[in-house]
Amino acid sequence: MSKYLKSAALVLQVACGVQLFNNHVAEFTWCFGPSMLPTLNMTGDIVGFEHLTQRFSKLGTGDLVVAVSPTDPSKLVCKRIIGVPGDKVVIDPVSPHRQYITVPPGHYWLMGDNLSNSTDSRAYGPVSGGLVLGRVFARLWPSPKWINNGLEEIVEFS
Amino acid sequence: MAFVPAFRQWAWSVLPWVPVGIYFTEHGYSLGTVNGRSMQARKQPSTLSSWMNKKPTLNPDSNQLKKDVVLFNHWAIDRCNYNIGDVVTLRHPDQPEKIVIKRIIALEGDVVQTRSPYPEAHVRVPRGHCWIEGDEMFHSRDSNHYGPVPLGLVKSKVEYVLYPLNRFGKIPDKPRGNRVRYAPGHKVYNRLDHE
Repeated sequence: MSKYLKSAALVLQVACGVQLFNNHVAEFTWCFGPSMLPTLNMTGDIVGFEHLTQRFSKLGTGDLVVAVSPTDPSKLVCKRIIGVPGDKVVIDPVSPHRQYITVPPGHYWLMGDNLSNSTDSRAYGPVSGGLVLGRVFARLWPSPKWINNGLEEIVEFS
Repeated sequence: MAFVPAFRQWAWSVLPWVPVGIYFTEHGYSLGTVNGRSMQARKQPSTLSSWMNKKPTLNPDSNQLKKDVVLFNHWAIDRCNYNIGDVVTLRHPDQPEKIVIKRIIALEGDVVQTRSPYPEAHVRVPRGHCWIEGDEMFHSRDSNHYGPVPLGLVKSKVEYVLYPLNRFGKIPDKPRGNRVRYAPGHKVYNRLDHE
């Protein structure tokens, strides 16, 4: 009996340890839908995301993040940060009438990479930083690869 | 130095339980103190029978010397169990590192009559959002300042006052009042049906 109790305790300890790592260091999630199309598949990818950047540094424009959906607390969304607090962003680059918004403090402007089929900040506005869970750093399956910040500076010559 | 091996043995038996404890405080129940007076709540113009509502919800003293110790229930929020009238902790929408305590006044679909700083007189709470207010309307920065708040920011439910022993017990309810027109049924969120 004591042997079973001991192994049950061990299972509990390991499970809690893994969960703790998942909640504070890094975890992976299943992510699908058409909104991130050129970067991630429509049929579903397993991506790894980490919580450390958010805690010890700052998320920047171009980072791929996983966030709790502002329209449904039980769902996660995977989007790219387009604007950080204080940035002036175009609300919808697809529409002919350009409107601009300044991202409020503590919020991010998130967009999918597939602008024609993505429910993102254009629909629900800037997303509070408290909803952002972490930065996506890798695709684990299929074809594992690191995912880096794809932002490139545009140098203008006047 | 005979006690060193004994201590080491003790540490090895206790250390593996640390993650279990942390997990419990993050996803089960945890204790915390409450700062500020936004949940102080004056007398409500309520029914005579509900004498409970004349008591302050949290932190009755304005001098901030005594702080209430309360029990947070993370389990209910992990299961997406939100109810109107619950006192909850949530991340401040503009300052993610700050945690505030407010009461859920309305959920998705409800129409709220707003108070002073809010630009519009009435607002319909959008999908997946809630309207939160402090019980003490004159000392609370709440949805009347920053609008409806996504439910994803809600971290835990405040269930019991533990410390000032004369007020030990469940957090008092607050009468719903007539500032909200409730939608017929509220959506039940379910973590199992992932899209």
